[in-house]
Amino acid sequence: MSTPVQTPTQQLQVVTAQPKRIPILGRLSPEGWMVLPTVLVLLAVSIYPFLYMIRMSFFEYSPLPQVPSKFVGLGNWVQMLQDQAIWASWLTTAWYFGAALTLQLVLGVAIALLIEHTPYFRDALATILLSPMFVAPVLVGLLWRFLLHDSYGVYTYFLHEIGLLNNVSILGDPRTAMPAVVLMDTWEWTPLVVIVVLSGLRALPHDVLEASVVDGSSYWQQVRYITLPMLRPVILVAALIRSMDLLRYIDHLMVTTAGGPADSTKIIGIRIFEEAFRFFRLGYASALGLAMIVVTIFLGRLFVNVLGEEQGAPGA
Amino acid sequence: MRKNETIEKFGGTERRLTRRTALKTGAAIAAAFAVAPALGARAAQDAGTPAADAETWGQYKDKGIQINFLSEDTPPTAAMINHVGEFEELTGITVNITQTGLADVVTKVLLDFASQAGDIDVIYADPMQIMAPLYGNFTDLRTFIDDPTLPALPNGLDDFDKMNLIGSGYMIDREKLLAIPYDAPTMLLAYRTDIFENATYKDLFQQEKGYDWTPGPNITWEQYREIAEWINGKVADGTIAEKVAGTGHQAKQYDSLMCDFSNVMLAEGGNYFDNPDYATWGTATPGGCALGSPEALAAAKLYDSILKQAAPGSLSWDWNGLAEAFSAGGIAMAPEWHEYASMFEDENLSTVAGHVKWALLPKGPNGTKNLWGGTGLAVNSYGTEERQRAAWLFINWATSPETQKKLLLEGSTPTRTSVYQDAEVQQWIADNKDPLVAVLPTVLDAWKPENIGLAQGKIVTWVQVDEAIFTDLSKMLTGSKTPEQAMTDAVSTIDKINNWPPAGA
Repeated sequence: MSTPVQTPTQQLQVVTAQPKRIPILGRLSPEGWMVLPTVLVLLAVSIYPFLYMIRMSFFEYSPLPQVPSKFVGLGNWVQMLQDQAIWASWLTTAWYFGAALTLQLVLGVAIALLIEHTPYFRDALATILLSPMFVAPVLVGLLWRFLLHDSYGVYTYFLHEIGLLNNVSILGDPRTAMPAVVLMDTWEWTPLVVIVVLSGLRALPHDVLEASVVDGSSYWQQVRYITLPMLRPVILVAALIRSMDLLRYIDHLMVTTAGGPADSTKIIGIRIFEEAFRFFRLGYASALGLAMIVVTIFLGRLFVNVLGEEQGAPGA
Repeated sequence: MRKNETIEKFGGTERRLTRRTALKTGAAIAAAFAVAPALGARAAQDAGTPAADAETWGQYKDKGIQINFLSEDTPPTAAMINHVGEFEELTGITVNITQTGLADVVTKVLLDFASQAGDIDVIYADPMQIMAPLYGNFTDLRTFIDDPTLPALPNGLDDFDKMNLIGSGYMIDREKLLAIPYDAPTMLLAYRTDIFENATYKDLFQQEKGYDWTPGPNITWEQYREIAEWINGKVADGTIAEKVAGTGHQAKQYDSLMCDFSNVMLAEGGNYFDNPDYATWGTATPGGCALGSPEALAAAKLYDSILKQAAPGSLSWDWNGLAEAFSAGGIAMAPEWHEYASMFEDENLSTVAGHVKWALLPKGPNGTKNLWGGTGLAVNSYGTEERQRAAWLFINWATSPETQKKLLLEGSTPTRTSVYQDAEVQQWIADNKDPLVAVLPTVLDAWKPENIGLAQGKIVTWVQVDEAIFTDLSKMLTGSKTPEQAMTDAVSTIDKINNWPPAGA
C-alpha cells in the first residue's frame, strides 16, 4: 500500500491542526512528568523566595503594608562592604568555623576509628555516642547554659573544684565564650562526622588492609598510610556538610551568649537574624544573606573540587 | 528626671485653667446635660461587672469564635491561663493563648502584620519593641470603648495608673489609644535578710564603714558598690559564712544590660535622649543621643566599677539568669524586676525563700530611679471586625478590676488604682503574709513620679538603639573599651541610626 504524498499546504494544515503545547512540556519524557511536581514545588518554596530575596537586596524593604519599600540600587551592598561590624562578624565566623570544623573532623575520625575497633557492643556504643545529634540545637543551647551556669552549673562547679576559671564567667568572658560555643557545637555535631566516617570505614576494601598487615605495618601505619587516605573522600563529604551547617545554625548561640559578650560570638548568622527580625531591615539582611550564600557556595565548591581531584575528575 | 517632669507636666496641664479650658468645660457641662439619660445608662454599665452587662458580654455566644492571644511568657499570662475558662464561659469566645520569648513575639507579630493575616488577635504590645516600630498596625481602642454595643471599660481609663497608661497605651498620637496596661514589671532591689539583717554583720559594717547598710534609697550607688565590695571581702576571709557574692547584675550583652544600666544612669541624671517624650508618649524625633553628657559618662564609670564587684556570672546573665542565681543563694543583693518575687519565694525553685526583701534602688544625684517595663494588650487591625470586637472583649475582661485582683495572688501586678483601693487587697497588704502582695507597696512607691525610671525609648528605631547601647556597654564591662570610648561610640552609632543631625542642619 502506497503512502499518499502530502502537499506542503496539507502538511501545514496538519501542523496547525495540532493543539498548542508548551515546547518544553512536549519534549518531556515520562520520567520528566513524574519529576515535574517536585520541580514546581521547589520553584514555589525555594527558587521564588530566592529570587525575591535578590530583589529585596536592592530595596530599603519594608514588610509592612503602610510603609512603601524604596529602591536603593546597590546601596545595601555598598553599605555591607563598608560596615565594620559586618567584617568583624565575618572574622568571628572564621574563628568559629575553623575551630569547630577542625575539632569535629579530628574527633569524628578518632571516635569512628575507636568504635570500629571496639570488640564488643559496637553498635550500642555507636548509638549512645550519636545521641547528641538527635537533640534540637536550641535544646543543646539550653542544656549547656544550664551546665555552665555560674551559680549551679555542674561543669562550672567541677572546673572551680580543680582550680580552673575561678572568678571567670565562662559564657560572660570573651576569652572563654567562644571556646564554649565551639565545644557545644562540637558536642552535638561530631556524631554526624562519626556516622559518615564509620560508613566509609565499613566500605573500605579488606584485602588492602589485610595485605598491609601481611607486609608488617603497624596499626598506626595502617591508619596513616592506608585508612585515612582512602577515607579522604568521605571526610571531605563530612566537612562539606558541616561547613554549610556551621554557617547556618545559630540556635545554641542565641540561647547562650546571643552574640556576646562584647560581640565575641556574634557570627554572621546572628547578625543576619538581627538585621532581619529584630531591626526589620529586610533589604540589608537579604544582601547579607546572599553574601553568606556566596561564601557557602565557595566553600562547597572548594570541597567538591578537592574531592574531584581526589577522584581524578577536577572540578567535578 | 525629665521624663517624670513630663508626666507631672501633663497632670499640671489638666489643673491649669485657661480660657480655652474654661470654654471646653462649659461646653462639656452643656453637653452632659443634653445627653444625661444616655450617660445614666452608660454609668450603669460602668459598674464594670459582667453580671451588670450580661447581654453585651455574651453577644458572641454560640457563634464559635476563636481568638489567638500571643504573649511574652510573663507571670500575668501564666496566671491568665488558669482563669481564661471564666472568660470563655462568659462570652462563648475561645481564647488560644501562646506564650514565648519576647524576641519571638516580636518576629511573629511582624510577620502577621506583613502578611496582613490577622491571625494574632490580641497582642502583647511591648511599648518599645512592638508598639514603637509597628504602631500603625494596631486598632485604636477608643473605637471599642465608645461603642455602646460593647461592654463599657470598668471605671474608665482614669482607673489605670497614669504612668502605666501613657507608657503602655500610646505611641506619639495622644488621641489614639493603642493598648490597655496589662503588666508592669518594675526594677527594685532584692536583698537577703539573712545577711543584711544579721546583727553581727550589720554591726560590723556599721563599725567599719560608719553607716547603716540596709539596702534602699537611703544608700547611694557608690555605697551600694562599697557594700558589695565589703561583703566580697568578708566572705573571702570567712567573716561572712554564706558563700555569696556582694551583688549580681543582669549584664549579659542583651536588653537586660541596657535596663540594668538605666537605673544607675537615671539616678546620676543622665538619659538616652534629650526629647522628654521619647520614653513616655513616644516620638518620631528623639533628637541626638545624650549619652555623651557628663552625667551619662559618670554613670558609665560608676556602673563599670559596680560590675567589678558583682558576681562574675553577671556578664552572662539576663534577668532570668540573675533570678536563678539569686534563687540559688549565690548573691546578697541584686537589682531585679519585681515580678521575680514569686520565684524567690517558691521553695521548689529557691533556696532563699522567706529570706528576701525588696527595696527601692539606691540613689544618685537625681534620686532613686526604678526602671519601669510595663506592657499593654492591643488589638490587631488586620483581624475581621468580629474578631477585633472579640479581642477587645478579652482585653476588657483581662484588665478588669476583678481579673486583676484574681491574678494579683498569682504573681501579676495590677495596673488599676481601684484594685489597690479594694478593701480586701488592702487587708492582704496589711497582713504582709503573701510575698507577692508584700512587694506591692514598694512597687507603688517606685511608680511615684519622683521615683520611676523611664528610659526605654518609644521610638521607631529603639531596638537598634538598644542594641547599640548594650553592645558598647558589654565592651566596656569586658575591658575592650573605656567608659569614655563606650559612650562616645554609642552616641556615634545611635545618631547614625537616627540620621542625626538631619541633613542640612
